[in-house]
Amino acid sequence: MDVTLEHYLVVSGVLFSLGLLGVIMRRNLLVIYMCLELMLNAANLALVAMSRYNGNLDGQIMVFFIITVAAAEVAVGLALIVALYRRRQTAHVEDLTSLKS
Amino acid sequence: MSYLQLLGLVAPETIVVITALVVLGLDLLILREQPLRHRFWMGAAFAAFGCVLAAAWLLFINSPTHPAGEVSGALPLLRGMFVDDGLVRLVKVALLGLTVFTIAISMESSFTGHVGEYLALILLATVGMMFLVSAEDILMIFISLELTSLSLYILTAFNKRNVKSAEAALKYFLFGGMSAAFTLFGLSLVYGLSGSTGLREIAAKLEQPALDPLLVAAIVMTVIGFGFKVAAVPFHLWAPDAYQGAPTPSAAFIASGSKVASFFVFAKVMMLGFAHAGGSGSWHAYAPGWLPVLAVVAVASMLLGNLAAIAQSNVKRLLAYSAIAHGGYALLGILANGPSGVTSLVYYVVTYGLTVLGAFGVVGLVEERAGEARISDFAGLGRREPLLAFCMMIFMLSLAGIPPLAGFFGKFYVFTAAVGGAKDLGLLWLVIFAIAMSAVSLYYYLQVLKQIYVVPVSAESGSLGAPISSRIVLAVIAFGVVALGCAPDFLVGRLLAAIKLAAL
Amino acid sequence: MQAALFYFFAALTLVCGALIILNRNPINSAMFLVLSIASMAGLFVLLHAFFLAAVQVLVYAGAVMVLFLFVIMLLDLKEEDRRKFNLFGIITGVISVAAIAYISFAAIRSGSASVSRTASDIEGGTLPLGKLLFTNYLLPFEILSVLLLVAMVGVILLSKKDLK
Repeated sequence: MDVTLEHYLVVSGVLFSLGLLGVIMRRNLLVIYMCLELMLNAANLALVAMSRYNGNLDGQIMVFFIITVAAAEVAVGLALIVALYRRRQTAHVEDLTSLKS
Repeated sequence: MSYLQLLGLVAPETIVVITALVVLGLDLLILREQPLRHRFWMGAAFAAFGCVLAAAWLLFINSPTHPAGEVSGALPLLRGMFVDDGLVRLVKVALLGLTVFTIAISMESSFTGHVGEYLALILLATVGMMFLVSAEDILMIFISLELTSLSLYILTAFNKRNVKSAEAALKYFLFGGMSAAFTLFGLSLVYGLSGSTGLREIAAKLEQPALDPLLVAAIVMTVIGFGFKVAAVPFHLWAPDAYQGAPTPSAAFIASGSKVASFFVFAKVMMLGFAHAGGSGSWHAYAPGWLPVLAVVAVASMLLGNLAAIAQSNVKRLLAYSAIAHGGYALLGILANGPSGVTSLVYYVVTYGLTVLGAFGVVGLVEERAGEARISDFAGLGRREPLLAFCMMIFMLSLAGIPPLAGFFGKFYVFTAAVGGAKDLGLLWLVIFAIAMSAVSLYYYLQVLKQIYVVPVSAESGSLGAPISSRIVLAVIAFGVVALGCAPDFLVGRLLAAIKLAAL
Repeated sequence: MQAALFYFFAALTLVCGALIILNRNPINSAMFLVLSIASMAGLFVLLHAFFLAAVQVLVYAGAVMVLFLFVIMLLDLKEEDRRKFNLFGIITGVISVAAIAYISFAAIRSGSASVSRTASDIEGGTLPLGKLLFTNYLLPFEILSVLLLVAMVGVILLSKKDLK
């Protein structure tokens, strides 16, 4: 059986859903970030596959940009965790409770 | 194309970037030892000067006389990545104005010692918004959206003494990251379907009557992504926490500048990119597409935003829920799906941004004195601070949509555009619902005003001791809100003239 | 051969992706993320995106993961203890994931006419990508530099201890 674009899209869709599931269900902020990375990577895979089947390189260029942006985003996000940990000694979502009406 | 040509094309953005670098360097190298107030004044003066310079460039230097298509046609290297027409320029000038006011209301605050970084990040976020407004290419949209968001996350976390600030930033970051992933996945599907990244080419490729199921998935994902960005229900969960925990000027910036840019680009993606997949949200002629999806989101936003705002005791949270509701009204402008929709949307979000900026300015002054911004902290403000109380009254009434203030005309234009935008008054149900909801909203705005004017002053609370500069700035903003309301044609006329040429 | 490699890498990517979520120790999760990303680089090679495959390994599996591990060690995070099930999280999670999975599978299964079925023979080498990057994509490339500046300023500011 030949591998077609659909195969890649299925992998990408499953990966995206896995990432989303992790973001919603996990409580450790670092693991949530990893799941966010997974979601971005799912988009990357879809883009590369589509770039190949569309016959232009625009998709691959986009992936190049996304990888850079994701790296910057992770750096900022981890700095936020470190800043929070300094004051609260926690990296769990359910401890983020000081804000309410 | 050489770098010099490129920099010339994006001169206003370049000016703002250079200003940011100068402000950053100046503060770190020269002003280090000066007192905080002095540093804030110097930095803010420089930053505001840069913004004014960029705005002047946008208004006066080789203003575009040709529509968007031609600009990108003459410069094939930029294709749809950087569109420069009258409409875009107007929105950019409005953004720069909002930035100047944000800087002005943060000038006297004391939540941070890192003045240079703070001002530089505000300016760089503005650069992101300016590029976002110009973008008609999915890659450019993503990059500038990320530039804006990253700066805003950091601005939210800026108050390092307060743990609430870090928490707010984390929540904002988590939802922002989700939003980015959704937007990206949706846009990648769009790229896969059309094979190109420019919105206009995408629309041309997707010109078929039947909705491709993959396109449906793409539209849903994109709406979810942008829904997070503009804090529409059910993707609004971050907004109240982010607004409450962020330093007040940062919250004001998130509510004003970033709202303007996000709504503009949201409208562009929907109206340009998915031009042939609109469907219909009319009650008698339903057809699948992005219009019914947005109609549902708009109804949910107006309903939940207004009802939840009633229950709030913290004014920043109240403004956050009111922002969600206003997001719902603004979505009506996108639902109108046409030039009149864009005009009304831009007028609406710009006046809303100005008003909410002023409201946050007053809240910031009260918060500086009281430590928090509960509604009860506003008690007796009318006697303690007559000028500030009067400004707050103008902002609140404008948000509620009382004539002749800017908020009233904003709503009026959006509602008429929505009624006229769909065939056979199809969106009338939505507009009636929106009007009913704005009547509800009057209740909680009046609650704040009641505290200010009716509730007696407690013995120990005197004047806020607000610096004279803040009073002047807030008075200017209030004057702007009144003026834009009394003479809406000043902005609307320009918008209409620009949109005729812009071919949106 | 191609098909066998595809199934191998795809299965590895997905299994490791699932293990990230299921593992309670953040370090293990990070390690599975490395594996998942590396096998995705294998998929990129199958799609002839050679440059991106290299970047994926260098930037993601290299730089980003080191950052993750560094922070995990810095914060000295223990295993997540088995707390009672977060019912709300599970319900919303399953509903939204099911909705998204349904949409995407319906979309993919029904097949869409506008997506081309045949793979083109473009190669994502360094030369063609670099050429595009510095011609058509020059402006976003420059904006990226501003974005990295923002990230740098922000990270230094947030993670530095305030003096005094």
